[in-house]
Amino acid sequence: MTSPIQHCKECVDLLGEYIEGTLSPERAKALEDHLSFCPPCITFVRTYRATRRLCRSALAAEMPGELMSSLSLFLGKHVPGFPCSKSDTTAVVVETAADTGPKKA
Amino acid sequence: MADTPQTQQHELAPEEPRSDGQPGDRELVERAQKGDGAAFAQLVDRHQRQLYRLALRMTGSEADAQEVLQEAFLNAYQKLPLFRGEAQFSSWLYRIAANSALMRLRRKRRAPDTLSDQPLELSGPRFSAEGYLEPTSSSDWSQRADEKMMSGELGNAINKAVQELPADYRTVFLLKDVDGLSNEDIANALDLTVPAVKSRLHRARLALREKLGEFFDSPPR
Repeated sequence: MTSPIQHCKECVDLLGEYIEGTLSPERAKALEDHLSFCPPCITFVRTYRATRRLCRSALAAEMPGELMSSLSLFLGKHVPGFPCSKSDTTAVVVETAADTGPKKA
Repeated sequence: MADTPQTQQHELAPEEPRSDGQPGDRELVERAQKGDGAAFAQLVDRHQRQLYRLALRMTGSEADAQEVLQEAFLNAYQKLPLFRGEAQFSSWLYRIAANSALMRLRRKRRAPDTLSDQPLELSGPRFSAEGYLEPTSSSDWSQRADEKMMSGELGNAINKAVQELPADYRTVFLLKDVDGLSNEDIANALDLTVPAVKSRLHRARLALREKLGEFFDSPPR
């Protein structure tokens, strides 16, 4: 039998593990029991989740195709048998300081 | 490095089949170790995006990330004969890339000697003496977020708030919540314990939540 959560601070401390699903079932149940009678904590959970969602939307980073192409060219020069033509036809070759003489695709 | 040559050959569990039917990392590593450059290219193709995010988050610069990637994959290829499969290939690779990024940052004098000993002043929710949330920490802006996002104002506020986080908290937060790496991979790459990763992540989220709360509660400009 796990102890009940009386105070918001304990609820907030457990929130990270709770929303990732890594909290033990007993502590998760205690947290949900606290949420059932604590509107400020319900709001807190909503805004905590929204923070993750909004940051993911605003900050997502994809590897540029040009960079894939230049990496492929670089490794093609240094790794025997490395095929470097797969993604090079659609991307611009970028020369970098680490690759002083890239091959053309 | 976590995966160093051993005097005894360990018996490894069979590799889980991939859902896309492609050969697993371990099979590709074995082929690459025998000189199959195409197998190494498949490994590069499979892991370059996550490695790019790691390098970008750690260096904060696309140009640096590009050089870190080149250095990391070349380094991994050269060390491939030493990789014996006790660790996951992806974890081994993350560690190589993270070391490369840290060395680059140190050369530019932008990194502390360790990631774990920075003084920390992060904002967070306020509680009463009894442990209850103060009203200022409980404004519900979650339903107003998407509308504001459309204007671009929120994107700017998020960027600013994330940049204001201490570097190691920022890196952990970005790798986990934006890029989706596991706590274990982040811990391995940044030489932290998993509990330390969880702690930084939670405190970064709390600080960012406070900043976003201030943004939503501020009068429209």
